[in-house]
Amino acid sequence: MTPPESLADPLSRDAPLPNPLPRPEGELEELERIWRRPRGWRFVTVVNNNWIGTLYLGTAGLFCVFAVILSLLMRAQLAVPANDFLAAERYNQFFTVHGTAMMFLFAVPAVEALGVYLLPAMLAARDLPFPRLSAFAFWAYAIGGTAFFVSLFFGVAPNGGWFMYPPLTSKEYSPGINADFWLLGIGFIEISAIAGAIEIIVGILRNRAPGMSLSKMPLFAWAMLVFAVMIVFAFPAVIWATILLELERAFDWPFFLADRGGDPLLWQHLFWFFGHPEVYIIFLPAAGAVSMIIPAMVQARMVGYGLVALALVGTGFLSFGLWVHHMFATGIPSLSLSFFSAASFAVTVPSGIQVFAWIATIATGRPSLQVPMLFILGFLFIFVLGGLTGVMVAVVPFDWQVHDTYFIVAHLHYVLIGGMVFPLIAGVYYWAPSASGRRMSRRLGTWVFWLLFVGVNLTFFPMHISGLMGMPRRVWTYPEGMGLDPWNMASTIGAGIAACGILLLILDLVLHFRISNDAEGNPYKGGTLEWLPQGNYAARSIPRIHSREPLWDNPALEEEVKQGRHFLPGTVTGLRETIVTSPVEARPQYVAIIPGPGWGHVIAAICTAGFFLSLTVQLVWLAAAFGAVAIGAVVWWLWTGTDYGPLIEKADIGGGLRLPVYVTGPDSVGWWAMVVLILVDATTFGCLIFTHAFLWLSQAQPGWPPEGTTLPELASPAVAAALVAGSAALVWLSDLALRRGRHIAMAVLMLGALALFLGGVTLDLGTWWDAGLRPTVHSFAAAVYANHFWQGFHAVLLAMMALYVAARAFAGLIGPVRRVTFDNVRIFWFYAAAQALAGMALVHLFPRLAGSG
Amino acid sequence: MSVSRTVLLGTVLAAGGAAAQDASGDAATGRALAAAHGCTACHVIPGLRGLGSHVGPSLAGIGGGRYIAGVLPNTPENLVRWLRDPPAVAPGTAMPALGLDEATARHIAAFLATLR
Amino acid sequence: MNLQSVLSPAGPYGAQIAQLTWLLFGGGAVIFGAVLLFLLVALLAGPRSRATLGSRRFVLAAGVGFPVAVLGLLLVHILLVGRAVSLPVPGDAQALRIEMIGRQFWWEVRYPETESGAGFVTANEVHIPVGRDVVLEVASGDVIHSVWIPALHGKIDMIPGRVNRRVIRADRPGVMRGQCTEYCGVQHALMAFFVVARTPQEYEDWLQRQRRPAAEPEDEFLAMGRRVFGEVGCGACHAVRGTEWTARLGPDLTHVGSRLSLAAGALDNHRGTLAGWIAGAQDLKPGNAMPSFAAALDGPELRAVAAWLESLK
Repeated sequence: MTPPESLADPLSRDAPLPNPLPRPEGELEELERIWRRPRGWRFVTVVNNNWIGTLYLGTAGLFCVFAVILSLLMRAQLAVPANDFLAAERYNQFFTVHGTAMMFLFAVPAVEALGVYLLPAMLAARDLPFPRLSAFAFWAYAIGGTAFFVSLFFGVAPNGGWFMYPPLTSKEYSPGINADFWLLGIGFIEISAIAGAIEIIVGILRNRAPGMSLSKMPLFAWAMLVFAVMIVFAFPAVIWATILLELERAFDWPFFLADRGGDPLLWQHLFWFFGHPEVYIIFLPAAGAVSMIIPAMVQARMVGYGLVALALVGTGFLSFGLWVHHMFATGIPSLSLSFFSAASFAVTVPSGIQVFAWIATIATGRPSLQVPMLFILGFLFIFVLGGLTGVMVAVVPFDWQVHDTYFIVAHLHYVLIGGMVFPLIAGVYYWAPSASGRRMSRRLGTWVFWLLFVGVNLTFFPMHISGLMGMPRRVWTYPEGMGLDPWNMASTIGAGIAACGILLLILDLVLHFRISNDAEGNPYKGGTLEWLPQGNYAARSIPRIHSREPLWDNPALEEEVKQGRHFLPGTVTGLRETIVTSPVEARPQYVAIIPGPGWGHVIAAICTAGFFLSLTVQLVWLAAAFGAVAIGAVVWWLWTGTDYGPLIEKADIGGGLRLPVYVTGPDSVGWWAMVVLILVDATTFGCLIFTHAFLWLSQAQPGWPPEGTTLPELASPAVAAALVAGSAALVWLSDLALRRGRHIAMAVLMLGALALFLGGVTLDLGTWWDAGLRPTVHSFAAAVYANHFWQGFHAVLLAMMALYVAARAFAGLIGPVRRVTFDNVRIFWFYAAAQALAGMALVHLFPRLAGSG
Repeated sequence: MSVSRTVLLGTVLAAGGAAAQDASGDAATGRALAAAHGCTACHVIPGLRGLGSHVGPSLAGIGGGRYIAGVLPNTPENLVRWLRDPPAVAPGTAMPALGLDEATARHIAAFLATLR
Repeated sequence: MNLQSVLSPAGPYGAQIAQLTWLLFGGGAVIFGAVLLFLLVALLAGPRSRATLGSRRFVLAAGVGFPVAVLGLLLVHILLVGRAVSLPVPGDAQALRIEMIGRQFWWEVRYPETESGAGFVTANEVHIPVGRDVVLEVASGDVIHSVWIPALHGKIDMIPGRVNRRVIRADRPGVMRGQCTEYCGVQHALMAFFVVARTPQEYEDWLQRQRRPAAEPEDEFLAMGRRVFGEVGCGACHAVRGTEWTARLGPDLTHVGSRLSLAAGALDNHRGTLAGWIAGAQDLKPGNAMPSFAAALDGPELRAVAAWLESLK
């Protein structure tokens, strides 16, 4: 009747369901016990993605409300000309905090939160692969963001604009700690964004339900994948820029100071190389959400799924070629301006594809005007208008006029509110039933929509006109008699109306949003897996997938999953587990054990926040104490939460699939995470190379390196390079030792490698110092020492890793099989050594080859 | 604070031309003239938008004051006299004579009288 | 009449960009209307029209074909406009050169030497002859600023360590307003200036007046003003040509009385506002570099300084 079991593909449509009924007694209870969230005050140790995702989203929403309050105060000031409601300094702090918070503390974390919350359910994973990392990122972000806002009450909030252009933000013109608070806030978001990106990339590529190949993946997952990859390549630019600015502010290294060979435009290039993709980083997940909501609202499959997925990827690529369109007025030669104009036009194509694919999908289905759909229609209206003004500002001569005027304020709010806030609210109304079991209020929701729609348009449409009539951005006042009065009054009234909408939305959430399991089911009749019955453990059993809308194609799926007839209906090790699948075809590879609640990451987050905060207010000793505790907490978290080893031989997940619970090397999720981290690292190093090349180009006239610079002889750097290469060789040897089961020899070799690496980096540093180069003298020297700063930072990382590996080895926790920790350190080491060698080539050879001094 | 004094003055005078014929000034015209002559460069004046200068005293309540500059009884005639040439009334004053004509001074005085 | 509007151009470059603006708005409105129409059809129309929209072919035609065609044409057009409003050939003898240096929160304006006479420095006001290209060479003395005279052309940034250029031309006499458009610190909002376009003859006359040194005080009161100016240390920051004061930290005051505004467009300019500014600069524009001098001057001294400065026409 059925083919012999060994031949049947357990993932095929014809194979019997993986697990038979009845399920063993207590299987579900044990699953529930293992995935239970901590109660009482231990709740802060929670790591389940549904809880962290909700906390994340709630915190982002709270920060959004704070930033909205600031904007209302600013609108009150601008309601009439020559108003004295807010003084200049206060106003400047408000608009800086408003912009920074909206971009960094609301928009990016909110879409990331949506991903953390939705992705496991949508992919039928039990959780994301590194739940403590998500939780750490959340706590660091929540504490750091709060400190950022609190700085307002002490009058030390940042006041240099969200773009923080030096030299205004350099020590000379911003001597207070205001600018440092900006760098603090950004530091947190950098950490949490990178952590989130790693989590999301690995989760999407490796934790999908069996059979959910890339071409069957929900569009939201495609969008989140592009989002996360974009973070990997965009955030390093702002990380590097903030490092340079802090080095300049703290130690007077003149990267941006023209009188010492620096260039303020270096900041602008780095900032916008991040800043423009940032806009799409915010928009793409929202677009992905729209591509999920519309099909459910009209009960039809997405038209042009492949085109839309391609458009998401295309937007990701193109968005890295647009950054100069924020710099059209900086005097850049017109040839390159034309290129960036054309590139900015090109990015309208993928957006156009998506807009018309949504319209086409609506046309094929039966639209019903429920609350999520209202917000989708509002999104289309506002976003298309913002997109059109976006094309306009890509037109260079027009941009010369409207750049840094209220026209741009109008444009960016249309794009961000239309492109992100409306889809987000649509998503809240759409997915709320998946968390709380019931819909939020249709009556309130309709009111929220109309208040926001009217309010937003009334606020921002008149700004197009006030901008054209001569109102620049970031002005705390404007004079009478310029014809700006009625437009500003309209904007202020609109802001009030929109604020009422937000209040009603909060009311609706308070009244109707709960996290509970008494699910009404699937009220909007969505076709994707997040509508399976969910507990803290996500779906009871992990379904095998054959289509993009499994719930539409197999009406029995819900019942099968709930009964536990699909894969891994319980737990095999007694710990939290999730199935790891292959990246393209999603074939099951192994069962990964993932950590549960813990204190390590919570303490680490608190102390990381304490560390940066103490540094900002210049309490160095307190910072050192926080830093030490943070490192200790991270070690504790890793020690108890990673690399569990092969606890059991094989795990039977059903359907005849017996999978390992421990793998190392390129198949393991830890290895993938490390590779992504290395990509982040390498991109940052790319920014370091860019710094040298850009300053060289920009300072070609006076000469770079400056006249009179003595470059050190090459003998000593050659020795340094040999030491670094030697450290990589020792790590390679340590691998051989470990394979032979000699874990103590491995540890000793690795400590030796550490000594060589430290020796090499220090030797090179000394070479430059002895040659008489001082970082405060000129941008060339500053850039050289920036390389040493970066390599030194890696030396510290390697030191911690080597000591950790050695400790694990001495504790008997590393061996020829149990070696994930070792392998991750090994590949990072090879990267760091290669980077150190490249850095030496950069500082020694580049000025010799290119130098004009 | 105004975009262009010339432009603003033109409109104001056109509007206030008729009233300027009267013996006593017109408060609304005076208010506009006070704005156009930059009085807010030194004084906080209720009803006029300015940058908040405290070089001279705030003019809130000046209409109900008993003396002008602590020297002259506060009568409409004296206020006009003061506005036209403050140093002539109080030689130590920091307030310059702005060269206001009789009609302008009357309008402004009428406006100031409303600040009670 | 709006002195600072993109839509009220006063010269050929401003006019071409205004024309482009209307083109963009017209095209944008049509496209926006079309998208809304498609959306309405998708929502409400009969099954046959909806079926036309609900296809991959529609997505490709509207999402790829249409934008590529329209934006391709637009790109050619804007390249032409861009060239037409850009700098004339370098070394064009016809073009006049004026240097502007942005400072927190005012504008230094330098007129270089020409055949007709010596160069000079003024502030917060640019006078140009009508009908002639004027190349603004802009730089910064501290942080980044941006010069914007919407009636004449788009903005150009003033960046430390660089000199940028923008060509402007007015085609009729009149006053226009410009403003700083790159956030430059606490009083960024109060950093404006006026552009005065004059007939060539009037412009030449203005140049001649500006080249002269400051007038000698005509009476005792003005002489007192001049003396007090020195005593309280105004000369440590300000220059007045024809006197011993040559500092360049603040605006050149040689002909301050001839200007339309004080404090970079923040105040009108006469002895009253001059007195208010001198005594209360930090009240009026907190955070600017000029201290309030009320504590150093008694009433008559303040009046005298203000009167003397007013007399420097």
